[in-house]
Amino acid sequence: METTTQQRSGEAGRLPPEQPGERARRRGLSGRARWLVIGLVGIVGLFVVRHLTAGIEDAGLPNQFQDFLTLSISVIIESLPFVVLGIALSIVVQVWVPDHLFLKVLPKNRVGRRVVISLLGVLLPVCECGNLPLARGLIVKGLTVSESMTFLLAAPIVNPITILTTYQAFGWNDGILVSRLIGGFVIANLVGWLYSRHPAQQSLLTDRFAAECKVPAGHAHGETRWQKSVQLFVRETGVILPALFLGSVVAGLVQVAVSRQVLVTLGSNPVWSILAMMVLAFIISICSNVDAFFILPFASTFLPGAIVAFLVFGPMIDIKMIALMRTTFRTRVLVQIVVVVALASALLGLVINYVA
Amino acid sequence: MSRSSLWARVQQWRGVVLVVAAVVATIWLALNNQLILYIHPRYVVFTVVMAAVALVLVVASFLLRLGHNHDEPPTRAAARLSTIASLLAVAVAVAMIVVPPATLTSATVAQRDINSSGVGAEVQSVDAAADSSDAVFAAFTVLDWASLLRQTSDTSFYASKPVDVTGFITEDANDPDNVFYVSRFMITCCAVDAQPVGVPVYLPGWRDQFAVDDWVQVTGEFVPNASQSSTEQVALLPAAVTPVGEPSEPYLF
Repeated sequence: METTTQQRSGEAGRLPPEQPGERARRRGLSGRARWLVIGLVGIVGLFVVRHLTAGIEDAGLPNQFQDFLTLSISVIIESLPFVVLGIALSIVVQVWVPDHLFLKVLPKNRVGRRVVISLLGVLLPVCECGNLPLARGLIVKGLTVSESMTFLLAAPIVNPITILTTYQAFGWNDGILVSRLIGGFVIANLVGWLYSRHPAQQSLLTDRFAAECKVPAGHAHGETRWQKSVQLFVRETGVILPALFLGSVVAGLVQVAVSRQVLVTLGSNPVWSILAMMVLAFIISICSNVDAFFILPFASTFLPGAIVAFLVFGPMIDIKMIALMRTTFRTRVLVQIVVVVALASALLGLVINYVA
Repeated sequence: MSRSSLWARVQQWRGVVLVVAAVVATIWLALNNQLILYIHPRYVVFTVVMAAVALVLVVASFLLRLGHNHDEPPTRAAARLSTIASLLAVAVAVAMIVVPPATLTSATVAQRDINSSGVGAEVQSVDAAADSSDAVFAAFTVLDWASLLRQTSDTSFYASKPVDVTGFITEDANDPDNVFYVSRFMITCCAVDAQPVGVPVYLPGWRDQFAVDDWVQVTGEFVPNASQSSTEQVALLPAAVTPVGEPSEPYLF
C-alpha cells in the first residue's frame, strides 16, 4: 500500500494546485480519446499489413522453419479462444459473482470442499489453458491454493465439452471415457489433498502472484464493475499471453525436432506404450476439449491404458501448461505436481492395460 | 516518463499487444477462408466468436485509464529474463502478421512417417467398396485409397478401378528415384496433429519433371509395385501426372 500512496501523491503533485479535479477529468478524457484513436489505427494498420504480406508468393523460408512457424501459430490459434473464454469467466467470478454467494455454497468440510470444487468444471467449461486464469481468479476470491489446484487439474477433464468430445471419439469402448473421468477426478483430489497438508499455502505461489492476491482487482478506488473487468482483462492477458506464446514456440520446436516414428513404434508394449503416449501428450500441448479427436487414429495401434494415460496426463501437464502454470506456482511446486500427476497417470494406464 | 515507469507501461500492455496480433491474424484468416490451414473447420465459428469478444475487450481497454500496478519493481535479472521472453513472444506475433499463411510441407511428412498409426484405417472398407461404381472410385481421395491399401494388397481388387487423386509429392525413403507419394495431411483438430497420408506412385525419373512439395493430379490404376527397393507392394501406375495449384482446402478432415 505504500507504493500506492506515493504514486498517487506523485500524480497529484504534477497537477497545478487550482481546480485539480476539473483539469484531471479533462486531461483524462482527451487522453482516453487519443489512446482510442491510436489503438484503432494500430489494429487497422495490422490488418493492412497482414493483407499486403499475405500476397507474397514464396516467403523463401526453409521448409523446416516454415513448418515450425505453422505449428506454433496453430497451437496459438487453437488455444486463444479457450484462453479468452477462461479469462472472461475468471472476470465474471472475480468481479460479478458476490463473495458470500460463492463461498457459502461450498461445504465446510475440507475434503468435501475439494470434491465440489473439482466438479466446478461442469459449470465452467474451459480447457486447461483457459483454466489457469480461472484458477488464479479463484485464489484471489479466497480459495486456498490447494483447493484451486484441485480445480486446475480436474476441470479440464471433468467438463461437459471434454466429456462430449471424448464420447464422440470413443463412445463407451474399452471404458476409456469412464477411466478418463474417474482418473482425472481422483488425481486432482490427490494433489489437492497433498498440498492441503502444506502449512504455508501462500508460499507455494510466485512472489508476483502472491502480491496480486493481497490487493484484489480494483480495490477501493470506486471504479465501476465494468472498469474493474477491463482492468482485469489487461492484467491477466499480460501474464497469460506471453506464457502461451512461449509455450507454443517450444511445442512447435519440439514437433519439428522429435520424430513421431520413435513414439509410435512403442505402441504395443504395455509399459512403453504408456510412457510414449505421455511423452506425446506432453509435447503436443493441445487442449483437453479437442484431444480425443487427435488420439483417435492412434487407438488401433496403442493399448487402451496408453490412450487413457494420454487423455488424463495431457490436460493436466504439457509444455504449454508448464509455461502457463509457472506464472502462478513456484518452480519447486511445479516439479512436484508434474511428478505426482505423471506417476498417478502411468499407474492408471498400467492398471487398465493389465486388468482390462 | 522515467525508465522504470516506461518499463511498467510496457509490461502492463504486452498482453493486449499479443492479443491484438493473434486476433487480427485469426480474423483475417477467417475472412479469407484460410483459418482451416491451422484448425479443423468445426472450431472455426467458436474461434471467430471468441476473437470478436477479445477485440471488444481490447477496444474497451483503450478507453480505460489504467490504475497503478502493484508489482514490485523487478530485479535486474528478472527484468532481463522477462525482456527476452517478451521479445520472443513479440517475434512470434510479428511472424503471425507478416509471414504468409502456409500449409505444412514435406519436412513434417518426413518427421511423422507417412500412413503411420492406423490413420484412416476405418475410412473405407474393402467389402463395402468392392461393388462401388467407377464414379465412386474416381472421387476417392488419397485417404480413401490409403485406407484400402492398408487392408489389402490383392491386386485383383484394384484391377480396372479408375484412380484420380490430388496431393503434393513426397519421396519414398526406400526408393527415392522411382517412387513418390501423392500425399495430403489429415487433420483431426489442428495443424499440430496433422498426419500425412498418401498413395505410392511408381514413376522412374519423376524428379526430371517434378520436385518434392509440388502439387499434382495423378490418374491411373493400382498394379504390383515394380520398384525393387520400395516396401510398398502395390503402387499407382500413372496414366497422367498433371501439375496443379495448391487447392484452397489443402488438408483432409
